[in-house]
Amino acid sequence: MRIAVTGVAVALPGASGPEALLLPARPGAEPVDPAAVIGKKGLRFKDRATRLGLHLAHAALTDAGLLAAGGPAAAGDRLATVVSSNLGNTDTVCRAVETIAKESTGGLSPMDTPNASSNIIASETAIRFGLRGPNLTVCNGRGSGLDAVRWAALMLRSGRADHVLVTGVEPDNEVTRRLVDGPVADGGAAVVLSRDTGRARALLGPVFRTADPAGTAARLALLAPGGDLWLRADGGPAPASARLLGLTGWGELSGALGVVQCAAAAGWFAEGHDGPAYAVAGAAGAVLLHPERTP
Amino acid sequence: MNYPIIGAGAVSSIGGDPDAIFASLCEGRSGLAPLRAFDRSRFNAQRLFEIDDRETEGVDEPGRATRFLVEAVRQAVEDAGLPEDLAGIPVLVGTGLRELRSLELWWRDGVPFEADGLHFEDALRSRFGAVDTHTFAGACSASLYALALAWDLLAAGEAETVVVAGCDVVTESMFGQADRVQFDPPPSVRPFDKDRRGTILGEGAAAVVLSRSAGSRPARGLLRSVAVNCDAHHQTAPDAAGVEAAVRQAHEQAGVTPPEIDLVVMHGTGTPLNDRTEAAVTAEVFDAPGPALTGIKSLTGHTSGSAGLLSLVVALSCLDSGTVPHVAGLSDPLPEGAGLRLVAGEPLVGPVRLAQVNSFGFGGVNAVAVVGGAA
Repeated sequence: MRIAVTGVAVALPGASGPEALLLPARPGAEPVDPAAVIGKKGLRFKDRATRLGLHLAHAALTDAGLLAAGGPAAAGDRLATVVSSNLGNTDTVCRAVETIAKESTGGLSPMDTPNASSNIIASETAIRFGLRGPNLTVCNGRGSGLDAVRWAALMLRSGRADHVLVTGVEPDNEVTRRLVDGPVADGGAAVVLSRDTGRARALLGPVFRTADPAGTAARLALLAPGGDLWLRADGGPAPASARLLGLTGWGELSGALGVVQCAAAAGWFAEGHDGPAYAVAGAAGAVLLHPERTP
Repeated sequence: MNYPIIGAGAVSSIGGDPDAIFASLCEGRSGLAPLRAFDRSRFNAQRLFEIDDRETEGVDEPGRATRFLVEAVRQAVEDAGLPEDLAGIPVLVGTGLRELRSLELWWRDGVPFEADGLHFEDALRSRFGAVDTHTFAGACSASLYALALAWDLLAAGEAETVVVAGCDVVTESMFGQADRVQFDPPPSVRPFDKDRRGTILGEGAAAVVLSRSAGSRPARGLLRSVAVNCDAHHQTAPDAAGVEAAVRQAHEQAGVTPPEIDLVVMHGTGTPLNDRTEAAVTAEVFDAPGPALTGIKSLTGHTSGSAGLLSLVVALSCLDSGTVPHVAGLSDPLPEGAGLRLVAGEPLVGPVRLAQVNSFGFGGVNAVAVVGGAA
């Protein structure tokens, strides 16, 4: 079965589309403002990661032609959601424990209750856009974004869904900065993966994990020779003939990295390149192919 | 299609392995106890179903979810007769709250911690040499969701054997948020009772080994299907339509009809809304008299993301022993349960060939499994 990337969205400071990922990050760019894209309605009490996730979902589903006025443009029970975020609700959790220590549970806001659960982004996305298929949250470290893509592809192959919205998103705040010891990207990307379809921005090749990034990189080149784009942030090498894109200019992408890499590959193909693109995130790896090249 | 479950493991507040947990359930032994490590002056509710494992009484420590996970996986792998080296075997972990308790201790008390400690990769690699490890944070149905993905891995031929686990400890933030909205905390968990007053969190872990072929020892059971979906309706209120769709999909995928199901291990949290919805859906799907219905949360508490797999491990014991533990604390069934065969008062003895396991979570994430006896 061919699995196609049929929708792409990017939301990072100064980067609102896949092509922008191929350029250096603009220093001092304004933070992403989800309300400007999806309106303020329903965003009150949502944490930053969830707002960014809803923004990305709206843009990616629209790009894939899956959003109609008032609901999804396909059967809701065939639309699945996978979200990758490691740091998403850590600020809610840390603020809660601080408030309890200072004031007891009386000082907590009841509106924060859903945000204490790590699947808040995925479930809010499903509720807002009527996505009634499987709803999965992957919190799996550096490789999490590519892992999310892998599980989405598996659910398409096993017939659990016809389209899967995969969102990778992380918020920048005091807690997440301290956790990763530096700035966090405050945004991410989303892609829609679909079973065989006419219009595609990219095709998905093998997605897997090995014991380490070097092993993953070696296997990628073996599985789909001739890659002209290497997406890797781990400092690992790429052949001189290929473009190496670290995507490190926005801060730590963490769980968003793998999905942002897939979006960047779509941007690469849109610019006319046609060799395979390789993504390495943690020990996870993925091959992305030009839509007119058969995998 | 079905896949043998060739090993099982579990830990909870009422027992350190599946047999001990099953014995406690049949004897009605509860794990509910006064708060073991949280500052009691900060909460209205004063009791939880915690596992009593902390080194110093009253002093919390990081890494407990990981500890329970590793123990459940160790048991399951041993039970399956596999070596402890899991280098070639995917390990899928469903959890509601990951290592967020360790994060809390880091933020508040300065206990060392880093972002990679939020998930379970490092622990599973150092203990079992596992490389293909995955942490799914899907609220209370997370571990059955992980089981569904394990099914897909086997069906696609991407793995011969998969370890699936669930684990959770109570976080102060989740307990605190629940405490904030429960002005009158329930004294106990009473699933499907008309006087039920809410749920109480618990701690636990469970693991199974799922394989494409039978192992060297008799299988614990055969997994027939796992269906997963999402209500896409409300954060905290379950939706009967979504729940019923998941149940019917599980039956369809397993190729079974409702009358063939002998037992349902219900999600049964003891909250007014969950139990009402779940009972109504069960009455809708099954014609009277229907299957025996039980649930474990009155004695284990609501163990969050590990709950679904813990229920499944209990279902395996029911299949094996022909005994169904009763729903402790259930004396007068709720109106929606009239006519349902809720097991109350004492365990029910009789053959169980096919069991359904329900697991529903925050955000309307539903998972339903069908499991049969190995014989």
